[in-house]
Amino acid sequence: MDTKPELAAALELLWQRFLPQMLERIALLEAAAAACGAGTLHTAQIKDAHATAHKLAGSLGSFNLTRGSVLAHELELLYSVQEEPAVELGAQLAAITAELRSLVEHR
Amino acid sequence: MEAPSAVVRKILIIDDEDDIREVAALSLESVAGWQVVTANSGAQGIARALEEMPDAILLDVMMPGMDGPTTFRQMQATPQLAAIPVLLLTAKVQASDQRAFADLGVKAVLFKPFDPMTLAAQIAAVLGWS
Repeated sequence: MDTKPELAAALELLWQRFLPQMLERIALLEAAAAACGAGTLHTAQIKDAHATAHKLAGSLGSFNLTRGSVLAHELELLYSVQEEPAVELGAQLAAITAELRSLVEHR
Repeated sequence: MEAPSAVVRKILIIDDEDDIREVAALSLESVAGWQVVTANSGAQGIARALEEMPDAILLDVMMPGMDGPTTFRQMQATPQLAAIPVLLLTAKVQASDQRAFADLGVKAVLFKPFDPMTLAAQIAAVLGWS
């Protein structure tokens, strides 16, 4: 028996179930990017954004969103700095996060 | 004459992320036909391992509380579990992290995101399961 179509269908169901969680994670990253641009990003938010980006990097590719994992990993690296990211980085964080949202919403 | 029945392997997946745990379980069950049991933390994983005595353990690295390496060390210190092969699962891609994980003595380090279509084959290849 070819398990591929069966597995693909089951993965699709899982994706639908976890989509709200993925979007919540992206919303958290959007808030962090906006805070960075506004110069109000605080340490706890950086930590949360880093952990959230790490989670997305580890999962999106398994749902056939390889580019999503790459973008999330970029965000993970940008939020891995010890100190507060520069305000100028806000636009870059927002752009990567916007692409991530688009990929997830249009999967 | 009856055909020999295939060996049904039992795998324990320990990961705090629901989505990863469910995708991995689905993958191993549907592609390989293995029996899968799961745990969402290191402590729960050790308890499940003692209850289930799986053939192998797929262990996430980054978990709140007891992380993967700490969980692995505790398993190694537990005589009933010490011989069960452990494969680490990580989204960390830095070479220094990878070396540190390999030095722990695990059977292999597998990377997230994994391909659900090939995860079982990857595990089987590492463990020499035909």
